[in-house]
Amino acid sequence: MEVKSTPSQQPNLLIDQAIVPGDVVLHLSNISTNKIKLGLGLRQDADTIKATNMGLLKHSRPNKYWVESSTKRYIPTAGDAVLGIVIDSKPDNFVLDIKGPNLAFLPVLAFEGGTRKNIPKYEVGTLVYVRVVKANKIMNPEVACTDANGKSAEFGSLKDGYMFETSTGLSQMLLSSPTCPVLDALGKKLSFELAVGLNGRVWVDASSPEAVVLVSNSIMNSEFLSDTQQKIMVKTLLKKIEL
Amino acid sequence: MTHELVMVEEGDDKRVDGRTPNQMRPLSCSRNVLHRAHGSARWSQGETSVLASVYGPKSGTRKGENPEKASIEVIWKPRTGQIGKTEKEYEMILKGTLQNIIILTENPNTTTSVTLQVMSDDGSLLSCGINAACAALLDAGVQLKQLAIAICCGLTNDGTVLLDPSKIEETKVRAFACFAITNSPLSALSEVTPGSDKGKSLENGIVTSITYGSMQESDFFHCLERGRAATSRISEFLRKNLKS
Repeated sequence: MEVKSTPSQQPNLLIDQAIVPGDVVLHLSNISTNKIKLGLGLRQDADTIKATNMGLLKHSRPNKYWVESSTKRYIPTAGDAVLGIVIDSKPDNFVLDIKGPNLAFLPVLAFEGGTRKNIPKYEVGTLVYVRVVKANKIMNPEVACTDANGKSAEFGSLKDGYMFETSTGLSQMLLSSPTCPVLDALGKKLSFELAVGLNGRVWVDASSPEAVVLVSNSIMNSEFLSDTQQKIMVKTLLKKIEL
Repeated sequence: MTHELVMVEEGDDKRVDGRTPNQMRPLSCSRNVLHRAHGSARWSQGETSVLASVYGPKSGTRKGENPEKASIEVIWKPRTGQIGKTEKEYEMILKGTLQNIIILTENPNTTTSVTLQVMSDDGSLLSCGINAACAALLDAGVQLKQLAIAICCGLTNDGTVLLDPSKIEETKVRAFACFAITNSPLSALSEVTPGSDKGKSLENGIVTSITYGSMQESDFFHCLERGRAATSRISEFLRKNLKS
């Protein structure tokens, strides 16, 4: 005997399930809350919310929905910290490539204590750790080397080290809390500096080249491994340089 | 692998390779096969196999394209030989199909380029290409309204509809049709509430329909009905494939 519950109490069958574009995620006529926050991968279509990307549907109470997926390209979202490469410099801003559909603009004054007299000289090819300030589909995204309060907070150009490209899913895993197992295991034995961009770029720097290579390889290998597998993988690699 | 030669007699329903008229060849799909492409997929239906790669969206549109929408560029590469009229026709069909399933207003003034390389051709090439392109777009994370699943049907002289014809069968049929149909969406609720019945007519809509040869109107609708049933099976296969 099926117990009929009121529409707003029916559980959403698709949460934490794999969905494809076109799947109806929410019927707006049944929702009790007034405000729904949609993240990446969802779109309103008349009185339903449909998925536009494939991935896992995630829900965070009370009213946030998004599709978790991993891609090689990045969709700029305000507030994200990304790694950009300088492509061009104009009088008013630097033009960066952030692996998105459009090039990003970094205003020359968007630095802590930035004035016309102390504009940094970023040549073509400089790797910069920036924060996305404004991003919408019509305009080029705007980035800055300051945090929301105007402080520099580690943003700026990254010198030395090694940068490699990965998927956005791996970047999210590296930035998740609690610390992901691969970084935990590496951190116990090695000391290194790491900058993770949500656009799928990772920068590593350490005192010796072997350490840089080892850290980069461990991170690249860890994308599809489980927690225990990651620990074992790091242990095997560390043995190779006798640590 | 041993092959059996099956003699087709009068009144025998079996096809040259032993399938029934409604039976499709084994499907296989692998995504993320190319390292550098932003999205890639290889789709095989029996011996026919197409590799699709997607690059984009990249900023800037070509001359003459509407800058308020994203533009799609399709390149179809045959297995051997130069690009000729058939390839240009396939490119045009595919461009039209993809323009209807990609949300074009999401990334205005950008170009997404889809390249299809025919790895082997044993019939039903166009449907294999459309399916490969869709899987590659999914892999690349391009925003889509719905998925388009394609199927080819051949119509024999005695009115039987053969699904997913092989190359030998394609030469013998009287007419040939290829359909791209949207997949059936999952709904968040177990019962679809009465208010959303209006949306049902938009489900399983036809995105593309191409016919070669001449057929009666009733035959066309018969092919379409068989095609619809087949696309729901292919759609289920695709969902299972995407979970892994």
